[in-house]
Amino acid sequence: MEHTYQEDSLFQQHNPKRHRLIRPVVATRDLDAPQLITTLAELQAHLQIAMKVELSTIPPYLCALYSIKEGANLFATNMIRSVVVEEMLHMVLVANILNAIGGEPAINTKEIVPTYPGPLPHSDASFTVNLLKFSPEAIQTFLNIELPAAQSAPPQPNHFHTIGQFYAAVRDAIEVIDAQTEGGIFTGDPSRQLTPEHYYGSGGRLIPVYSLSDALEAIDEIVGQGEGIDGTIQDPDHLLFGEDMEYAHYFKFNEIACGQAYMPTDSPQDPPSGKIIEVDWNAVYNMQANPSIKNYEVGSELWEKTNNFNKTYMALLDNLHDACNGKPEMLNKGIALMYDLKYKALELMKIPLGESGEMAGPTFEYIAK
Amino acid sequence: MEHKEYDVVIVGSGISGSIIAKTLTNAGKKVLLLEAGLKAGIALDKEGSYETYQSYLDTYYKAAAKAPNAPYPDIKDAPSIDVLDLTVLDGKPSTDHGYLVQMGPVPFASDCVRGAGGTTLHWLGTTLRMLPNDFKMKTLYNQGVDWPITYDDLKPYYEMAEHEIGVSGEVSEQKMPNMGDNFWGEEYVFPMEKIPQSYMDSVLMQKTEGLTVSLNGKEYQITCISTPQGRNSNPNVKYKIAGVSWSEEKKQLELIRGDEKFEYRPKGALWDNYTGERCEGNASCVPICPVQAKYNALKTLKNAKKENLKIITQAVASSLMIEKGTNEIAGIIYKKYRRENSKRYTTEVAKGKIYVLAASAIENAKLLLASNAANSSDQVGRNLMDHLVMLTWGLTPEKIYPYRGPGSTTNIPTFRDGEFRNEHAAWISPLDNWGWSWPTFAPGSDVQAALEKGMFGKNLRNHIHDKVTRQFLLHFECEQSPEPENRVTIDPKYKDQIDNYRPVIHYNVSEYMRKSMEAAKKVSDQIFAANEIEDFTNYSKQNDPGYVEYKGQGYTFRGAGHIVGTHRMGSCKEDSVVNEDQRTWDHKNLFLVGCGNMPTLGTSNPTLTMSALTFKAAEAILKQLNQ
Repeated sequence: MEHTYQEDSLFQQHNPKRHRLIRPVVATRDLDAPQLITTLAELQAHLQIAMKVELSTIPPYLCALYSIKEGANLFATNMIRSVVVEEMLHMVLVANILNAIGGEPAINTKEIVPTYPGPLPHSDASFTVNLLKFSPEAIQTFLNIELPAAQSAPPQPNHFHTIGQFYAAVRDAIEVIDAQTEGGIFTGDPSRQLTPEHYYGSGGRLIPVYSLSDALEAIDEIVGQGEGIDGTIQDPDHLLFGEDMEYAHYFKFNEIACGQAYMPTDSPQDPPSGKIIEVDWNAVYNMQANPSIKNYEVGSELWEKTNNFNKTYMALLDNLHDACNGKPEMLNKGIALMYDLKYKALELMKIPLGESGEMAGPTFEYIAK
Repeated sequence: MEHKEYDVVIVGSGISGSIIAKTLTNAGKKVLLLEAGLKAGIALDKEGSYETYQSYLDTYYKAAAKAPNAPYPDIKDAPSIDVLDLTVLDGKPSTDHGYLVQMGPVPFASDCVRGAGGTTLHWLGTTLRMLPNDFKMKTLYNQGVDWPITYDDLKPYYEMAEHEIGVSGEVSEQKMPNMGDNFWGEEYVFPMEKIPQSYMDSVLMQKTEGLTVSLNGKEYQITCISTPQGRNSNPNVKYKIAGVSWSEEKKQLELIRGDEKFEYRPKGALWDNYTGERCEGNASCVPICPVQAKYNALKTLKNAKKENLKIITQAVASSLMIEKGTNEIAGIIYKKYRRENSKRYTTEVAKGKIYVLAASAIENAKLLLASNAANSSDQVGRNLMDHLVMLTWGLTPEKIYPYRGPGSTTNIPTFRDGEFRNEHAAWISPLDNWGWSWPTFAPGSDVQAALEKGMFGKNLRNHIHDKVTRQFLLHFECEQSPEPENRVTIDPKYKDQIDNYRPVIHYNVSEYMRKSMEAAKKVSDQIFAANEIEDFTNYSKQNDPGYVEYKGQGYTFRGAGHIVGTHRMGSCKEDSVVNEDQRTWDHKNLFLVGCGNMPTLGTSNPTLTMSALTFKAAEAILKQLNQ
């Protein structure tokens, strides 16, 4: 009897093609090289850094996203939104790995909350991340963040050049330390895991981590979505772009930067050659770069509104922190806060700063409790 | 392409047309779909669907009146019925106010969307099954007619429909009158867990659940249950239905069960499955869900097999060609307009082996009447039905905070069935989560009234905060009985700008219905009293198009958006238009789908039942094609 499944013929779910875009780890690992992360404590510390790296990408994306005026730049809006929700997923995936190996993710502490302008945490500081309105400069920063690692680039746990190098080092360490540890390292409390039931609508399927293979799958998901392919293509006939293809952040941003979409036949080394994408850099709230509450008089209306925004931001981080530390059911409650954050950010972006023609904006600053 | 003959030609891309298109194309049939609405509406690709939907949202946000059709284009070449066109008839027909010609004596009060995706774009999403007794109204209560099929016959198709729409709900809470022992299949669950019931519901249920009310000498105990609905929530891990598929061997549609590892995945927005994977609690479900967590028919169409499907938009079906001798349908004549609102069009013919009209109950009837088709029973256009919605509203003593969550998450099923159906119509009472916005245009009207009293600043804010948060709306959907004189007709005097007929409606509210409104108001009074709700209900002869009187009392009904009954299904060709396969008795290659087939309405919102019937029709079509 012949049955054809009707379901999901067009939706992209667990896109198997995506995983072909991921660097095959075995091929890149130099087995003679000294192990870079050697103890469980070091591994936990590096996963904590990974959380910080993921968190640090979110405010710049949100500033660009919120600064686009309603109804303008639909392509870019949809694209940036899809990236930012995937970054949120990455953060939660890292939290799951960290919980699985007995760590305690910190999300709402002064050390973790990123500041701008600044380099990507723990990176080689080859570029600076600013909070910018939707602009060519902002997109360039996003391209830098999501830059694919060259295939020859070694795993790099400290002072990394690309996020991919960093995760490659973490991935190696998970495997090695798990193998070297009697009974393995996946001894964390399973009830601390965030599962698909708790987390949705944001960038894909959440993988609960109970074992080594889960952890590796989670890392592959992160790297596959982010920088994706590393410039080498195993199969030159393999289509990398196109409607049914889910491709990495770097290439999404490159489409905006070039004002043109990729064709299914395009090569990742070349610029996109498909249809023209309308990009209107002017249909944007003219948000000042790197707004900060320090620039406003304490107690002024703008100070109050900015402080209010920061309070909401902290409430959201507190919520995430609790969700990742034994109260996964808290995650649902974060949705209202996310909406609130957006509304408060938009309000700030509509407030002019004196005669400069610039507008205020969300500052994403830490507030002590 | 134009000269090609398809296996099946479908008119309309709403939920029934989309289910037919998806099921048939996935079974390998070549399908042509004609859609009267604009080309942009049918976009299924990421960018196109995003742009179209954002433009709907934009239009909605800017609209002064947030009526159900507010976000969607109304095209002069294929006009939509709009509730904003309703007027008080006062003994005179309304012939030039909107698309419908309302002959009265009271106006038909419901609307629909004529465009890609159909009315599922603005539906609320309630997905209740009908009750077993709803199928036997003549036998049990001497009202209307019996269906040619029973609840049990329809049960497997209900499961297909619940799978297709993606229903969230809790089976164990679905306690309804006279549902029998085997209403649900063994260990049946919905695809997703129930949508959390609103805060307002929890407050109201405290004094309403278990409340005894008396009505016409009998006592009834009120129950409140969660409402199953077509909007995404957490997948139910016990749900193992993976799809619906045509079995060549058994010549039937089958539910495919997934293995142990199978996980149901909610279908998010057309443009991004990571948007709308769960309901986010926006209260604007009608007219538009901002994230597409609510089901719409385009999600079904998107899963049709592309290579077997050809869609022509801006193509308004105009009449059917009937072959002399065989009496088979030989083609569908449609008018293709070039541009939105342009009077220029070309006339073309679509040809297939089988034809399926899925254009809504009113449009289907109109097309048949215009073609003198399928009407040997003289039933085409007759028995037009709707749920007559009677609203009651008041202020609660404590704040209940309406607008938190989707439109309605709880209903009172107590009066869905009972002996009283001999005397008056049954009803269901959803608890509405929309404050007084429906009857009074709150909160805008509250602000207006307060300004007129000279309120401003903090005073005004406090006043609004105190009032709007206590606005409670109760809702009675009374099952309209089929009446032959409630009907759609056509008249050459009334045509649209591309020379297609406008529907001419004759409509009235029978005594059986008026009596149910009187009964519902008595029940409302008792629920209000038990909850210490101050009643502000007001029915106005001067202002309400749906104002009717019974025993000297006035009541106002509103449309439920449930347009039903114009080409009823039956067990013989003398008194019905289609048989239980929804094939017309008169033309063996013509099927009708949609709510028009329903012989009676029951007290459930009709979309789920109509979808179940449509799967049954799809199965019959596949059987016929594979003979």
